[in-house]
Amino acid sequence: MKRLLLPLAVTVTVAFAGEQFAMSDADRAMYKEMQENNPAEIYVEEGGEILEEQLGGDEALAKFLGVSEKELPKEIATFPKYVPKLGNVVGLDQVIQAMQVEQGKERTKLKSGKMFSMLAYVKSLANGEIPHIDLNEPHEKVSYDLGKKTFMTKRGGRGLSCNSCHSKDVVGMVLRTQPLPDLGAVGSGATWPAYRMTKSSLRTLQRRYQGCMKNALLKVIPIGSKEMIGLEVYVTKLAEDHKQPIAIPGLKR
Amino acid sequence: MKRRNFLKNLCAVSALATVATPSIVMGKDEPKQKPKGVNAMSYDAALNAITGGKPVADSPKVSLTVPEIAENGAVVPVKVNVDHPMEENNYVKAIHILTTKNGNARAADVMLTPMNGKGYFATRIKLGSTQDVVAVVELSDGTFIKASKPVKVTIGGCG
Amino acid sequence: MPAEARKSMIKIKPKKYKTGDIVKVDFIVIHPMDTGLKKDKKTGEVIPAKYIDSITFKLDGKPFTTMKVWETVSTNPYFSVNLKVPGKGKITVEYTDNTGEKNSKSKKLKPKD
Repeated sequence: MKRLLLPLAVTVTVAFAGEQFAMSDADRAMYKEMQENNPAEIYVEEGGEILEEQLGGDEALAKFLGVSEKELPKEIATFPKYVPKLGNVVGLDQVIQAMQVEQGKERTKLKSGKMFSMLAYVKSLANGEIPHIDLNEPHEKVSYDLGKKTFMTKRGGRGLSCNSCHSKDVVGMVLRTQPLPDLGAVGSGATWPAYRMTKSSLRTLQRRYQGCMKNALLKVIPIGSKEMIGLEVYVTKLAEDHKQPIAIPGLKR
Repeated sequence: MKRRNFLKNLCAVSALATVATPSIVMGKDEPKQKPKGVNAMSYDAALNAITGGKPVADSPKVSLTVPEIAENGAVVPVKVNVDHPMEENNYVKAIHILTTKNGNARAADVMLTPMNGKGYFATRIKLGSTQDVVAVVELSDGTFIKASKPVKVTIGGCG
Repeated sequence: MPAEARKSMIKIKPKKYKTGDIVKVDFIVIHPMDTGLKKDKKTGEVIPAKYIDSITFKLDGKPFTTMKVWETVSTNPYFSVNLKVPGKGKITVEYTDNTGEKNSKSKKLKPKD
């Protein structure tokens, strides 16, 4: 769409209004310190307690996934992934739900504080690991391709795609005082669930992406849907390509 | 200019949300009557309440660390270190954190003792607008010293 | 939220310390710190002020830091002070909010001498 391309090309040359909003080293150090005292850690702890009480904790999770407890961190780092007994590429929250069904327990809604806490806890088990999406696994490849397509598809009232604001070409430009991030370089796929300062609460990747879609006037994609999981697989692969380690809970604006 | 409109109209929904219902409403200079908080107090009045009108000099002994630009006005990190002993008869008695433009200028009053070992305190505060953060320190001999730093608060971003 | 349910954390840094060391005592608590100036988006009603207004840090029952806190402090607040380690002991953080809610959290002080 030429009408959109021209303004974007112009803005590349005007790129560095961005610098005045880019973080100074001193500020970056302050915000890094904040990560060491992240209120979301309390929710991560809570998630672990719920998982333990209700489902049998790490031991039960490892058993469900068919790995040893020692292998659990590396296994978690490969999510979202294809789980044969579920016949689908799923996220960790859906794994928790499946465990609940298997044990005859009440299923926690994907979009609930309880689930966000449990998801954060489970993902935090993989802290320090670089995520790994297995593109040789056919179902994963399908999911990745769907995610990439979703990322690139222009839609909605303004004909925007995720790529319109998050492509390498526009990264660093400023949108409403915020420099646009390269989702791979900032490890988006490895640092959610995170504490969002503007919301003072624990938020998940899929929920954040939904918020972003709303702001860009795109129709919101449901949590846990094929497209949303595909998106998560795609950005997790981007984090892998940038060697961004998993660090939960994250800290975001 | 097409670009300006393009970027300005992006995040149209969140633009309204941000301006219409600010999450921090703390005494901005605006034509409309803004509701006063339960603890409304100006910086000058708060400083006076703390020092009883005594002189307060800026001192390099008070090391105040705040971000130059706050990523978000709701969670602004503040750190104070006072270069002063913490002995039984000579110690940092209190650290007060104030803001210059919030409706309630006061954030925290921290009463320390020699048991702390160091005159240090850190927290995170809300800033309703670009303004200074001030650390007012009371020493055990009854004297006051302070340091202040400006923080830019941007209300922006998408959502 | 009932008093027993309020979640908080005390962290001591560094993790390994000896008697005589000065450690950092960090306290984080989940609390709305409502200023009383915000309206509920759904109901349009003003959300009443609810914020932690006082905190006492004690070591084996003896206060070593007291704080008066205002609604200016961020939601889910963080407070950090130093403590010179006198030996083994128990740190207790007691806090109240402006609605009279009282809570506390403890953590053992275990120097590795």
